[in-house]
Amino acid sequence: MTDSGITDGGRTAPSLRPAGHAVLRTGRGNSFLVHRRSVVVGCVLAVLLTAAVVASLSVGESFVSPGEVVRVLLGLPSPDQLVVGTLRLPRLVTGLLVGAAFGVSGALIQTMARNPLASPDVIGVTHGAGAATVAAMTFGLTSYAVLPYVSVAGGMLAALLVYVLAWRGGLAASRFVLVGIGISVALGSLTRLLVTKGDYLVAQQAKTWLTGSLNGRGYDQAAPLATVLLLLVPFLLWAARAQRNAAFDDDTATALGIRLGRVRLGLSVLGVVLASAATGAAGPVDFVALLAPQIARRLTRTPHPPLVCAALTGALIVVVADLLARKLLSPLELPVGVFTAFVGAPYLLWLIVRTRSGRIGGTA
Amino acid sequence: MSGVARRRAGWLGAAFLLLLLAVLLSLAVGSRAMPPSTVWDALVHGGTSDDASVVRSLRVPRTVIGVLVGAALALAGTVLQGITRNPIAEPGILGISQGASLGVVCAIAFLGVHSPAGYVWYAFAGAGIAAVCIYAVASSGRGGASPVGLALAGAAMNAFLASVISAILTTDAHALDEFRFWDVGSISGRDASIAGQVWPFLLAGLLLVLAMARGLDALALGDDIARGLGRNVALLRATGALGATVLTGAAVAAAGPIAFTGLAVPHIARALVGPGHRLLLPMAALLGPVMLLLADVLGRVVVRPSEVPVAVMTALAGVPFLIVLVRRKTVAAA
Repeated sequence: MTDSGITDGGRTAPSLRPAGHAVLRTGRGNSFLVHRRSVVVGCVLAVLLTAAVVASLSVGESFVSPGEVVRVLLGLPSPDQLVVGTLRLPRLVTGLLVGAAFGVSGALIQTMARNPLASPDVIGVTHGAGAATVAAMTFGLTSYAVLPYVSVAGGMLAALLVYVLAWRGGLAASRFVLVGIGISVALGSLTRLLVTKGDYLVAQQAKTWLTGSLNGRGYDQAAPLATVLLLLVPFLLWAARAQRNAAFDDDTATALGIRLGRVRLGLSVLGVVLASAATGAAGPVDFVALLAPQIARRLTRTPHPPLVCAALTGALIVVVADLLARKLLSPLELPVGVFTAFVGAPYLLWLIVRTRSGRIGGTA
Repeated sequence: MSGVARRRAGWLGAAFLLLLLAVLLSLAVGSRAMPPSTVWDALVHGGTSDDASVVRSLRVPRTVIGVLVGAALALAGTVLQGITRNPIAEPGILGISQGASLGVVCAIAFLGVHSPAGYVWYAFAGAGIAAVCIYAVASSGRGGASPVGLALAGAAMNAFLASVISAILTTDAHALDEFRFWDVGSISGRDASIAGQVWPFLLAGLLLVLAMARGLDALALGDDIARGLGRNVALLRATGALGATVLTGAAVAAAGPIAFTGLAVPHIARALVGPGHRLLLPMAALLGPVMLLLADVLGRVVVRPSEVPVAVMTALAGVPFLIVLVRRKTVAAA
């Protein structure tokens, strides 16, 4: 909480308003603290994301000029309505939602664990969702309309398992991460078994799905995810506030009357639901949930990953990675997860090297 | 002989008997049921009956490979735990096996290598590169990486290598078809000649590892004390890493990536014969095959007439072990 400005090296700050914040007041006496730098960063990210969206819709088997893309997006009549609006837009919308959901999920779980290394990928959520989905596929359930729900159930079950196994009179971040890795390995080996036992076509489909791909994804996958996101909005508003409390250490929180256990549980449940839903839509797109919140946090210089910026960063990562995955080896299309892992895994390694042994349990 | 030494020698003897039992089970149990006398006849007298050919051409190579691979993985795990002073170090968790897998995938997809015997060199190369990367991460922090750091580095390495592997396999359907059967980590259906191909490498790795038993003991006391005892710490670590890499590469080339054997066995062995590596290494070499063969036999029985690959069985058996280990305070307090 270096940013709070309330106390600074024992001196009392001149104002109770945290440094770098503005107060937004509504007519009925409600007020919100707004972090000024976050607003600026959010606007910049939104502009970049818009550019990435237009670029992504322009590029494909045929090139559509950005001007036409904008016309289609604005709903104006255009000769490219079919290519852009019907073929490319649904896939892009899925990518945006998936990226945003992973970004927010990572931000919540990193805040909960007070650890930048914790992410849904690491603590077993995506592997649980993956195992459940591949199991459903091998048992003949291939409808993309049903798979997302199977996926959410699998992710939540895996997270619950990790939570229960890592609980030992408390939830130490290091134990949580190690148990998560163990459960991920077990679920991964089950998934591999299913891929091997299944017939070749299922294996191919499952393998592609497991890498995290937007190929052939559209409103069928985007709709359940969008529903989940909309339903969660009130809870996310709560989470944005609760994040601040979650950063206190146990003693301070108790002294302030914050029920830290409940706050953390709430944040992690939200994070798990989001990650599972996103996995259900596009497969386990690796490392977005790990990368996006940390990039956002560095840009905004806030003590914990800000949710809106994490969502925008996540969406930006997925859209750009998908664009690269489609065009780099064209006409071959790689799964988007390959690209996020290419970038994300070295980043994680760097994070570990930089964090050093003693500080890995430290705050996000 | 002191009481402790006698007891430890007794454990070694017991482990040897256990290994014999596991070998017998592996020869006798399978999807094809046959009485022990038939198995014995087939082994000793040969013969041309169906039963005899099943035993001689399927179960014997499978058992031999199981023994070799189990010993190699257990030794690699013991050495890695020794040189990193980290209780959860293991070739599978650290991504070294995945590196060997990538080597094999490249061999299949780009170099037209299609026999497991030919995989060995590529598996070595991949395992070596992955081991060097992990080592760089592990050694960057003072006093080495914490268990969490090392496990996460391994997870990151695994994910990175997996993404490279799937990038290759997505673009090459034939390679996927060949690779997916090998990838699952199994000792069934492997050609008998694999054992003949990989044993020199396993022997080399074994000698390398056994030669540094005393050095590992010194290392367990801490870098400073080891240095004070006149050991070259960097050289010890490099030798150990090389030995573990050779053993892992050979094991992965023969059987595919099999995780957790290298994690669980050293801990069990340490509980029985203590932390001294001159007893610990042979004990691990005996218990590794026991675990692998028993897991394999179990995998043949649980879903008869189909089979569960041994890597799945060891992972399912090993993960609870990891969790128990993590829940002990010493590991989690990192």
